[in-house]
Amino acid sequence: MAPILETRDVSKRFGAVQALRSVSFALNAGEVHGLVGENGAGKSTLIKILTGFYQPDGGAILLGGEPVHFDSPRASQRLGVSAVYQEINLIPERSVAENVFLGHEPKRFGVLIDRKRMDAEADELLRRYDLKIDPRARLGALGLGLQQMVSIARGVRLGARVVILDEPSSALTGAEVETLFRAVDRLKADGIAILFVSHRLSECYRLCDRLTVLRDGSVVASAATAELPRAALIGAMLGRSAESIHRVRPARVPREATPALETRGLRWRTRVRDVSFAVRPGEVVGLAGLLGAGRTETMKASFGAETKEAGEVRIAGGPVASPTPGRSIAAGLAFLSEDRRAEGIFPKLSVAENLAATALPALARFGFISRKKQDAMVARFTRALGIKAAGPGAPITSLSGGNQQKVLLARCLATAPRAIMLDDPTRGIDVGAKAEVHEAIHLLVEDGLGVLVTSSEMEELMALADRLVVLNEGAVSGALRTEGAAVQDVLDMLAAPHEDAPA
Amino acid sequence: MSAMAASRGRLAALAERAGHDSPLALARAHSVYAAFAVLIVIDLLFTPGFRNVFVIRNLLFAAAPVILVTLGQSLTIGTRGIDLSVGSAMGLAAAVMALALAGGAWLAVAAGVGAGLAVGLINGGLVAALDINPLISSLALLVAARGTAEALLDGSRVSLPEGGLFDVLGIGAVSVIPIVAIIAVIVAGLVAVMVRTTVFGRSLLFIGANKAAAILAGIKVRRTLLLVYAASGLLAGLAGVFAAARLGASDPNYIGVNYELDAIAASVIGGTPLSGGRVSILGGVAGVLLLQVLGASFIMNDINFSYAQILKALFIVAALYLQRAGG
Repeated sequence: MAPILETRDVSKRFGAVQALRSVSFALNAGEVHGLVGENGAGKSTLIKILTGFYQPDGGAILLGGEPVHFDSPRASQRLGVSAVYQEINLIPERSVAENVFLGHEPKRFGVLIDRKRMDAEADELLRRYDLKIDPRARLGALGLGLQQMVSIARGVRLGARVVILDEPSSALTGAEVETLFRAVDRLKADGIAILFVSHRLSECYRLCDRLTVLRDGSVVASAATAELPRAALIGAMLGRSAESIHRVRPARVPREATPALETRGLRWRTRVRDVSFAVRPGEVVGLAGLLGAGRTETMKASFGAETKEAGEVRIAGGPVASPTPGRSIAAGLAFLSEDRRAEGIFPKLSVAENLAATALPALARFGFISRKKQDAMVARFTRALGIKAAGPGAPITSLSGGNQQKVLLARCLATAPRAIMLDDPTRGIDVGAKAEVHEAIHLLVEDGLGVLVTSSEMEELMALADRLVVLNEGAVSGALRTEGAAVQDVLDMLAAPHEDAPA
Repeated sequence: MSAMAASRGRLAALAERAGHDSPLALARAHSVYAAFAVLIVIDLLFTPGFRNVFVIRNLLFAAAPVILVTLGQSLTIGTRGIDLSVGSAMGLAAAVMALALAGGAWLAVAAGVGAGLAVGLINGGLVAALDINPLISSLALLVAARGTAEALLDGSRVSLPEGGLFDVLGIGAVSVIPIVAIIAVIVAGLVAVMVRTTVFGRSLLFIGANKAAAILAGIKVRRTLLLVYAASGLLAGLAGVFAAARLGASDPNYIGVNYELDAIAASVIGGTPLSGGRVSILGGVAGVLLLQVLGASFIMNDINFSYAQILKALFIVAALYLQRAGG
């Protein structure tokens, strides 16, 4: 029997970026097919092609063995492909039944909506999926999980043969996830094919019959779940085969002193669970983990950018009772966000204004900023970090990504911190700037700073860090010295979660 | 040929200093001054009686309170916010001032300014502490402050005593320049210096340019927002005092009505983009004068008020259209 939905050699390019390269994969009836990959692997692009948001540059899409063109989201939906996103695109102010039938309401005399019939049919549909939802309830009053179920029910009502669940469980509670899983089992039994996209590997292993791994726009693995052990899957995701890559640089000798940064039992929602670690002056600690493991959240909770619910943060030995970014900076901690545009630069403002942002208290007297002190500080960091800009007054947006990043690094250092947290500091910058950022980190450590760093590239992390703290689903799952260790050792640790190991 | 190249080079250098990328953007960002100059030349040539000093003095009397509320408005817009309450805060300030007349003119003026400050503090509290959208909080205060002003004076006009401080503010002038206009310009200078050189000014630009980044940089976001709206209320209070002194009476149904609209238009025309992160105080002042002269030109050319409003709206839209790339 032909697969329900199939892509053959589908390619897509955006400007200089080849988002998908000859992607071929097949989705069979009654199958749950997991699609995994790190950020930028091409998952979203593939989904958008299957749902008609993008047109492929090359290759074919086959539905039930017949070539089709999804020239719009509507066309894809009409042909039986239904997508459920994390962000629900239904109307929270209307009832569940109204949402299920939105745009396809049963009518009386061709104009009046037959409310009774609509409610009854919605009720029957929801029961079939074991969902205890009143069809007359306002959609917005339901939890996010149940709203997703309603979205699935709507897809089924519209005759979906393929249901795409895009990161469905990221925002769900435990009970909601169970409900979702039951509904998925039922869909499967009805012969509907499900494409399950998630970065939570345990869920993929629990739900999926088959797994396909994307990396850099290509399918790098596709096999029945039972034939693809976690270590192999993660190796495929991160692009490292079993070959051993050993680190050569000898480990630094950290000063036996009070940790520059220490957390004990840090908690934030379900994303950071009892995380404890210490970074000593003069060492680089890498925070390793897959996408969604809680690296960014751990840093933000330590810094006070998110309000921790439990645990303790100590900066240079001193406890910070309820950290806020301002207090953490004052206590000697700096944080570089992974998202340069959304959380880093101040567009419209100059290089100097961007660089000096954290240092205003030191530059000002009686609330007035000393232009002289600011210029001196900017000149010093521009030289030290090799920032290439037309001048301190040039708009920050006129700089290349790498130089913007160096300005933001300078902003972190401008407060003379004792410890610094760098969240994927080389993300999206060119090779030359990357090397300069690495060099800067080495210099900082020699000066006795404690550095906590993450990277989306495991090799880079191994090269930078003296030891790794491994996070898995929000909890510390292991620790490792990088000297003499191979990338594979870390992959093995990422693959074996829930092992209680001390940090 | 070479002279042209040289001037082009200078323009480009200017553009760089101003933080724009091309001479065209520079011209757009400074279009308010050009438009003002063109309008003055047209009026001098064609509008009968425009050269009269009384006309200029009246214009400046009318402009002074608008300049004050525009300053506050520019600060709130700089944080990517807005303050719709300034007109009503003027009305409330005038009403409170009228009630406090028994304590003498100075006390009455202080009470009026204090009433404006109170409106600003409530507004800032809602925005900073409760994270309420400034459009909503200031809209609520637009209604509430006006209602309070009318209730305080039972909806009727209260005359201010003649002589003394109120005459200084209402009719006092140094040659053609009213004292209130001098005060407004001095305050504008102080605000401009504050924006350019203080931690507070820098912080408000950070918040407008990228609030999430400002929080991570340890900027005191809540305190800055509270102070910005408080400053806007304070300036509106002073504007209400000026407007009442000019009128010679406190009229809760008249003082400050629709001033928020002129203040927003003047700020944006002057080069303070609604998207935040940039404030042009000098441009805002020029924007106020431009709108005042425009209004006067319509009246002096006997253009029907209804049509004048339509023309003014068209002018504002055209100015903003020209500006959009400069912002």
